[in-house]
Amino acid sequence: MLDIKNINKKYKGEAVLQDLSFTLKAHEMLSILGRSGSGKTTLLKVLAGLETADRGQLLLDGQDLSPVPANQRGIVYLYQEALLFPHLDVFENVAFGLRLRHRPEAEIKKKVNALLQRLELPEQARKMPEQLSGGQRQRVAFGRALIIEPRVLLLDEPFGALDTETRRSMQQLLKRVSKDLGLTAIFVTHDLKEAMLMGDRLGMMQGGQLKIYGSRAEFIADESTGAREEARFWTDLHDLKLTK
Amino acid sequence: MSRFTKIALIGLILFPFAFLLMLSVGRQWPYPAVFPEQWSLGNWQLVLVGSEGLGNSVLLSVLLSLSVATLSTGLSFWVSRHIAYHPKREAWLSLAYFPYVFAPVILAACLQFFFIVAGLYGTFGGVLLAQLFITFPYGVIFFSSFWNERLRSMEELVKTLGGSTLQAYAKVLVPVAKGALMTCFFQLFLISWFEYGLTNLIGVGKVPTLTLRVFQYVNEANIFLAALASCLLILPPVALLWLNRAVVFRERIAP
Repeated sequence: MLDIKNINKKYKGEAVLQDLSFTLKAHEMLSILGRSGSGKTTLLKVLAGLETADRGQLLLDGQDLSPVPANQRGIVYLYQEALLFPHLDVFENVAFGLRLRHRPEAEIKKKVNALLQRLELPEQARKMPEQLSGGQRQRVAFGRALIIEPRVLLLDEPFGALDTETRRSMQQLLKRVSKDLGLTAIFVTHDLKEAMLMGDRLGMMQGGQLKIYGSRAEFIADESTGAREEARFWTDLHDLKLTK
Repeated sequence: MSRFTKIALIGLILFPFAFLLMLSVGRQWPYPAVFPEQWSLGNWQLVLVGSEGLGNSVLLSVLLSLSVATLSTGLSFWVSRHIAYHPKREAWLSLAYFPYVFAPVILAACLQFFFIVAGLYGTFGGVLLAQLFITFPYGVIFFSSFWNERLRSMEELVKTLGGSTLQAYAKVLVPVAKGALMTCFFQLFLISWFEYGLTNLIGVGKVPTLTLRVFQYVNEANIFLAALASCLLILPPVALLWLNRAVVFRERIAP
């Protein structure tokens, strides 16, 4: 379980994260909705160990993460861009984490092939990143993260650069893989529908503060999430269509 | 382009090299003869294995330029990364232009005192260090445009995947930068290879690189030996240029 207590972070005197506290249960995906500049990325970078918090405590399964460097936390941070290593093919990109750990070749082959199968990429194994579509690249990026069985997966608007259709299929794929592998993850997005679709629990970030909702109904009831406005828009549109 | 123009152009490019080669195997060339009266490989024998010791100068130059290019490429790659992500990037980068404010000879004159005190005057190590004063900042400027947010994110990604800083360099940054590293190495090799002012002043004639030998023969009005030394002077850069082109080109067309 990830337990975050009173995290604070300032940049040039401006508070980016303010007394931020929440818990994330094992095998749970928390969706955090927030506009640009709300502090979502900073929160993820602090959790990953890429930024340090000014104050507060980070506990993962009871272990204090503050003194633990990023490469020993077991928390993988995925960017909006797939960031595949351009000199490695799909197989080697996915195998990257295992090679860092000097795992035996037989184990690498077995695990990578199994994961490529799960991510519907077996035909692409020997292709280079520039030969892949946007969706395929993002799937390889997932594979590269999942192969090392991270304790927590942090996803920073991973589908932001994809077209609508690809985005939908990627959301379904991640949802399915997450359920199958029992992932513990934080999914950050500025897309309301995506947040609601992906998260087991929902949160809203505004001005460096995070509010976690007890239920979906509570999230929808809060005017600041924009869920009610969105629902009203579609209802009005539907009514307008019926009356014409 | 017609065949004739192509041949003419190739001829024009190759003429200075062919002329140098001809001079290096010539003896006795009185005016108005079109070609030397005697042809001999004697000059080559004399300078490569004889008392002229040009062979040693070739080895010394290759060793010096390889050392300078390797050290400054590696060091400037590493330092430029730190400068690129530093909040005061511009200030640090402007320091890299400092050695170019002066001419190399002026720079050498400024450094001379410190080199004498450090016991580096007239030594191989001294010349190597002096050349680094020019090649290292050049490398830093060269790589300053290489680093960007995307590479920084890749580096961070390697860390969250469990990699150390060393692994990030070895497995991602260096392979990604391979083309830029090779180009920088090649350019720094050339700067070192043809460097005259600093090498002459700091080396005080005790580090006789091939470039210094060419100037020496020219000053002595020994056109045959000067031509021969010039031939030797252009061979390693041409070999390196061919290697650089072959590798970079192969990389660019790779799938």
